[in-house]
Amino acid sequence: MQKVSNISDLRLLFHRNERPIYFISATNFNLLGIDQWVNRFKYINYIDCFDGRHPNVFVPPQLPHKEFQSIEDINNYLLQHKDVVDYVERAGGRPVAVFLMFDAETERLCQELGIEVWFPSAALRERCDNKMETVRIGNKAGVPSVPNALSKVDSYAHLRQIADAHGLGEQLVVQTAFGDSGHTTFFISSEADFDRHAEEIIQDPEVKIMKRINCRGATLEACATRSGTLVGPLLTEVVGEAELTPYRGGWCGNEIFPGAFSEEVRAKARDMAYRFGNQLMAEGYRGYFDLDFLIDKDTDEVYLGELNPRICGASPMTNHAAFAYADVPLFLFHLLEFSGIEFELDVEELNARWANPAFIDSWSQLVLKHTANNVDIITHAPATGIYRMADDGSVSYHRFDYKRQDIESENEAFFLRISGPGDYRYEGADLGILITRGRSMTDDFALNERARNWISGIKKYYAAKPIMALHEEQVPPPGAFKIL
Amino acid sequence: MRCTFEAIREDTPGARWQALFQLRWPAYQQWFLRDGYRARPSYLAGRRALRQHMPELAGLYQQLCELAGGGDLEARFLSQWCPPSYISGCSQAVWLDPYGVEGPLLARNYDYAPALLEGSWLSTRWLGRQVLAMSDCLWGALDGINEDGLAASLSFGGRTAVGEGFGIPLVMRYLLETASNTNAAVAILQRLPVHMTYNITLLDRHCQWATVFVAPDRPAEVVYRPAVANHQHSVEWQAHARATLSEEREWMLNQGVRKAETADSVLRTLLRPPLFQTAYGRGYGTLYTATYRPHTLMAELLWPDMRWPQYCLDVQEGVLNIRFDANHAG
Repeated sequence: MQKVSNISDLRLLFHRNERPIYFISATNFNLLGIDQWVNRFKYINYIDCFDGRHPNVFVPPQLPHKEFQSIEDINNYLLQHKDVVDYVERAGGRPVAVFLMFDAETERLCQELGIEVWFPSAALRERCDNKMETVRIGNKAGVPSVPNALSKVDSYAHLRQIADAHGLGEQLVVQTAFGDSGHTTFFISSEADFDRHAEEIIQDPEVKIMKRINCRGATLEACATRSGTLVGPLLTEVVGEAELTPYRGGWCGNEIFPGAFSEEVRAKARDMAYRFGNQLMAEGYRGYFDLDFLIDKDTDEVYLGELNPRICGASPMTNHAAFAYADVPLFLFHLLEFSGIEFELDVEELNARWANPAFIDSWSQLVLKHTANNVDIITHAPATGIYRMADDGSVSYHRFDYKRQDIESENEAFFLRISGPGDYRYEGADLGILITRGRSMTDDFALNERARNWISGIKKYYAAKPIMALHEEQVPPPGAFKIL
Repeated sequence: MRCTFEAIREDTPGARWQALFQLRWPAYQQWFLRDGYRARPSYLAGRRALRQHMPELAGLYQQLCELAGGGDLEARFLSQWCPPSYISGCSQAVWLDPYGVEGPLLARNYDYAPALLEGSWLSTRWLGRQVLAMSDCLWGALDGINEDGLAASLSFGGRTAVGEGFGIPLVMRYLLETASNTNAAVAILQRLPVHMTYNITLLDRHCQWATVFVAPDRPAEVVYRPAVANHQHSVEWQAHARATLSEEREWMLNQGVRKAETADSVLRTLLRPPLFQTAYGRGYGTLYTATYRPHTLMAELLWPDMRWPQYCLDVQEGVLNIRFDANHAG
């Protein structure tokens, strides 16, 4: 194809795609369903959520390996596994890989295998991922963060001095540059609070010091392209629900529904994402990214939260929103941007269409973690597929499926199993992901009764046995890494 | 204790090699995993090393991996990149006939544990050159000769140093597959990384010969000593040298080679103590004596009461059972 000028061209381009494109990751959760849009799109995964029944998922036999510390480690393990190397090389073509996470070693391995990585470089991603840098990129784009100061902090007195100079008030939030914000965000209102986290704060060359606001989180995925930034729908975040996660403040799902935010807030967030994306292009970053927003409950002001320069946990929501079926999933624009195919798209028109509430329907996803503080070995786990809920709220397996859009009604849900028989169940281990039509939360943003029934109904199918002789090294430390 | 020696002809890797692999893989797997699975480099690292250092073998390696079942662990083993450490005894010598009646001779004793000997004398034409070699690590070699008349043999160099490099049997295979004379083989040894210390003796049909001391932690060194055992310039690992009588063997073999007026005289030295070792129970008895003659392309395996000759370009298949006395006092 010479040039992509509209959505039909884009659909045709990927319908006819002959280059093998691999999503290499622990599971295929983040890009679930993209294989139905892109010919020769395959998943190479560490965990087989589908017990071998997904036609486009390849999981090599498991080999002993060094304890994984990150998703990057998993990807690097996969890329050196003979079965994966054979799989990729036998498929031939000019292979392409996309990742959730990757590092310089991943890039080196891909180069060795002749695989093109369709993402900005790991070095650039890391630079953009830095929370201080995010603030600066936002400032350049006219996308404001919560009132803040970026500075090195030597002591509590020093912190107070900086806060006063910037008018940040008495109650502060301090963040360090990298990492899951659940573990690198410190709420500081007193010297005692400071002392608890002094070591982490003082050792960093620069931290983000914010005014503490009464806020709600929201997230949105977008894609920076040469034609401009395409902006997906604004999603609510499910955070810190005790049935789902042992971590206070830990992400455990998303919702998408037309009335989640006021028209004004949605418009503000979309505009900020648009401008931020265009600024990322200017910084050299292009393609898919995710922005978190903090919405001040008192003033409805919308602030830039953090940037995830990658595919993220919200991707399955974005790529299955109604607009994705009306046009194409947002991720296809990422593939287009890296494909080398010339294109010119009317981004304004697409963004305007997707902003229409009619292009949003109601879905939610919940990440089920093991919440008890014990370690055991799973003996039975619910299979991936579609489950049904009876009138009394009980849940039962109905049929195998790997296409979540096959859920017929709010009485059905798609469960993607992550931890299966033989796996350790430890505090914070990902058990699986539950995707339902309709909402999981009440208007006050607490889990609703239907969601609670689904969670307990699915968890009931897990059985485990205690560990008799505990081998220390085999058990991952709690929260060793987030798999999503 | 009994060892079975077998002469096998298979020009291109096929059913015969596959059968050997299947027979020996369980034992090799155990050895390969001795320090745990994670101690060995990845498949990709092994393949990368092979492609970088021995590119001529890369295609053959993939073929053998397929015959071995295509698995990750088997392929990691076959790459011989940073294998578990292994050591052995061995003595080797080059003899040049002072009267010019007989052609030059490379002769060696292979001293090792009988249970760990493959005993397969493989005649192959894997890369187009006929090679006859005593197999080790399933496609590596302990000693052998190729159709151009290059003969090569190895002995452990008596040091505990371990580094990033190839297991020596694969290096020997590489020499026999790709080099046609001593100079070419020396050049290869000067550039290849090896994972432990070894002495490699080379002899070609032009009577060019050399011994190369290779090690993971120092550059390869070419020396011209007619006989070597299990140390390099001096003994660095006393316990090993003492247990295997390395210095005594080297001295005796040197004397034997200098004085020998016929090839048979060299062989008599090799087949007698202290060169002929009998500590089978302790893992370093002499399992065979081998000779290679570049002028005639003749090779021979010998024991005190048995000889088995072969001609490199027309190897006759056969099987021979040799009994060793495990309880021998030696």
